[in-house]
Amino acid sequence: MAKGLLVEDDYMLNPGYLKLELMLKGVRVDRSLFEKGLIREGLPREGILGNLDLILPEETWVNVSFQEERARSSPYLLLERAGRVYITNGKRDVEVRLVPRPAFYDKRTSTGIPLYNIGVVHGNYIAISPVKRCEFFKYQVECKYCSQEDEDGRDLSLYSIDEVLETVEAAYEEGKAHIVYITMGFVSSPDGGIGILRPYIEAIKKNFSILISLEALPPKRNEWIDEAYACGIDSVIYNLEVFDPELFKRFCPGRAELIGRDRYLEALEYAASVFPKGTVASHLIVGLEPRESTLKGIDYLTDIGVVPILPIFKPIRGSQLEGMEPPSTDEVAPIYAYLYRTLKRKRISMRWVKDMSIVTTPIEGRFFTEDRKKGSPFVTISNPRLRAKAAWGLATIRRRLRVRQRGDE
Amino acid sequence: MAVVIDRRPLWIIILTKGFRPLFFIILTILFWYMMTSTPPQGLTKEGLRAMAIFSVTLLLWVSHALPLAITSIFAMIAVPLAGVLDTREAYSLFGNEAVFFILGAFILAAAVMHSGLSSRIAFRILERFGRTPGRLLLTIFLLAAFLSFFMSEHAVAAMLFPIALEIAKALDLKPARSNYGKLLFLSLAWGCIIGGVATFLGGARVPLASGILKELTGEGIDFLGYTIAVIPTVAVMLFVGFYTLKRIFPIDVESTEEATMVLSRKNRNMGKMGYGEYITGLTLLITVLMWIWMGKRLGLANIALGSVVVLFLFRVVRWKDVEEYVNWGIILMYGGAITLGTALERSGAVEWMVKSSLGHMTIGAWSLIALLSLLSLLLTEGMSNAAVIAVLMPLAVGLAKEFQVDLKAVTYAIAVPAGLAFSLPMATPANAIVVSSGYLKVKDMIKAGVLVSLSAWVVFNFMARVYWPFIGIGAG
Repeated sequence: MAKGLLVEDDYMLNPGYLKLELMLKGVRVDRSLFEKGLIREGLPREGILGNLDLILPEETWVNVSFQEERARSSPYLLLERAGRVYITNGKRDVEVRLVPRPAFYDKRTSTGIPLYNIGVVHGNYIAISPVKRCEFFKYQVECKYCSQEDEDGRDLSLYSIDEVLETVEAAYEEGKAHIVYITMGFVSSPDGGIGILRPYIEAIKKNFSILISLEALPPKRNEWIDEAYACGIDSVIYNLEVFDPELFKRFCPGRAELIGRDRYLEALEYAASVFPKGTVASHLIVGLEPRESTLKGIDYLTDIGVVPILPIFKPIRGSQLEGMEPPSTDEVAPIYAYLYRTLKRKRISMRWVKDMSIVTTPIEGRFFTEDRKKGSPFVTISNPRLRAKAAWGLATIRRRLRVRQRGDE
Repeated sequence: MAVVIDRRPLWIIILTKGFRPLFFIILTILFWYMMTSTPPQGLTKEGLRAMAIFSVTLLLWVSHALPLAITSIFAMIAVPLAGVLDTREAYSLFGNEAVFFILGAFILAAAVMHSGLSSRIAFRILERFGRTPGRLLLTIFLLAAFLSFFMSEHAVAAMLFPIALEIAKALDLKPARSNYGKLLFLSLAWGCIIGGVATFLGGARVPLASGILKELTGEGIDFLGYTIAVIPTVAVMLFVGFYTLKRIFPIDVESTEEATMVLSRKNRNMGKMGYGEYITGLTLLITVLMWIWMGKRLGLANIALGSVVVLFLFRVVRWKDVEEYVNWGIILMYGGAITLGTALERSGAVEWMVKSSLGHMTIGAWSLIALLSLLSLLLTEGMSNAAVIAVLMPLAVGLAKEFQVDLKAVTYAIAVPAGLAFSLPMATPANAIVVSSGYLKVKDMIKAGVLVSLSAWVVFNFMARVYWPFIGIGAG
């Protein structure tokens, strides 16, 4: 018991552990925070989109559930004392900061759509899905952990370019987003959806000095990865999700049958040769496969220059894995430590995947290692907007140098 | 897909891209230095400036740092601005007969291709004669050569290329590995190259050489006279080229039945010969006959442009169709090349260059022809054919005058080898087109091309020495 208490103390003192704990267990919110208007009721959406973003010590961002069922039994309470906000486990308090709800959430597009329907801010990026489509549902091979409402593969919603631009502009002007994170599900066309997304990407690049990440499924041919880079995407995320081949087939039947594990790995390797170092990433969900298999996946992906991002499996209501237990903090912490050490040893940049609230980032893996006390290794420009501009400028110069039209050869 | 990502290390890309501005800075300094220097003894100030423009133009043509046509425009504006020729005279040279002959020839070729006549001829001949692997190759080789007698070799290569690709696919040839694949595409390219030097129509080289010669000396070259002088060389080179190809890449297929089936199908799909094809074919035939028999009297350009007017009268071609096929860049380039050549001659720069380099030497006529043809043959592998002519012609005319060599002989010694670029893809569009098929590699082209280039030089000089005196082209 004493050991258990000590561990809990460690969790509170170490932002890495605390982030994991909060992500897994959620937080109860003291009524006074609502009464004082420090927290408003969440967005009328479920899952991470209706959660709270907090900043823990050492600038560690975390997205915490406070409305879901599991949060009600969380050992952690968010409370306010003398104008300051703390997280307490009843024994120790840790001061945190609330990320204010973006003001643009209260706005609507000129066509009347609430902006939070189009884009949601997490950390330093705004996530947008201009087209909500995943044809895995159409072929009934959707991923087992997914609970998307799209059950017949039709477009659930298609926001116009102007609507997306209005949302990005609002977030950009408010200083809430330095990266636009565009997501898209499976489309059976050979381009992996680039054809559909290109007008959006080009419009965003034309109007804002902002970086764009794309989370999608790999296209059938590598030429489309070239196109993706050329049209303005600065980072790609092709999520393998599960490294073990058999479990990959079991949990992600659509990805296995319609794309194939080999194509995933091939596309990731090729993308890593096209995009800047550290900007190609792939999710491996911790908790869906044995620890050794995740570690093998980390080794393989880092060997080909890809940054593994390790979200923790959390059963989603309505998904086929609703009843499966998530892993514990003690199980996942060593995996993050391994990820951090591997990336550091192989000199793969961890800069791109940082300040993310919904996953433990690779750089936050240091909290579980001997580098715990070293602080963030990044030397950056202190002004966030200037930093974002500089990153955008460098990315633009690199693209200009690397992209050639075929006729130029 | 329209883009390619350069995946080399960034520092290499930056160095490569940095080379271009550095090149232009150095070029500007060189140009400024030459323009402002005191001319050496015997060279006028205008002569030195003409040489400065010539040097910059030469470097730009060789390096391809700017498109050829834009380099020519630079020459065209630099000549009057530097005071070498007055503006009116410089631009009037653009109106040279050769430029308009080339324009007319392009439009005629465009009509032939647009009407479908050239494709019909190709399919008919290939289906009729290409029944065995060897005969199919020979047919492609000779067909490419024959068509290049009447059309630009580049256009012929572009026209026959898809047909060769279909044959290769029908025969299931393995790209880069099948000997027959290599033979197929090299036969196509070399047929075009060798056939392209046979007449004024195979490329714009000969008209350009003729145009520069006329501007510099007042003498011209006639259509029939040129072909009579060159055709034996072409005939021998067709034999040498085909024999060399078959020796280097032995045929490795036994049947071409599948290819014949494809060609038969294509032939059937062409349907009956239409009105446009009849009119175009007849017009082309009459035009060629007029060039041969009335070229001197009526003027080659007048006949060419007259035929163009006839084609439009019969509505067999529209201006929109012509615009797709005519290479306006080449027209601009030729105008600039003639202006530059004239500027070098009139400013005294050519005379000075000849006297200060070879003036103290005694060179025999045939040695000069051998030297010029070798120079032209070597340069054409790395430079545009037309640029080789633009660069060498003024110098050759100066040397011919100095050593009293037949002007026609030195013109042929440059114009013919300038078209015989066998070894490298960048040497001529026909080579570039066939390499793009993937069925042969650059090293295959070099391996066979070097041997044939050497043969071409020997054959050309042998014919010059033995045959030309019989037709009145001699040592002076």
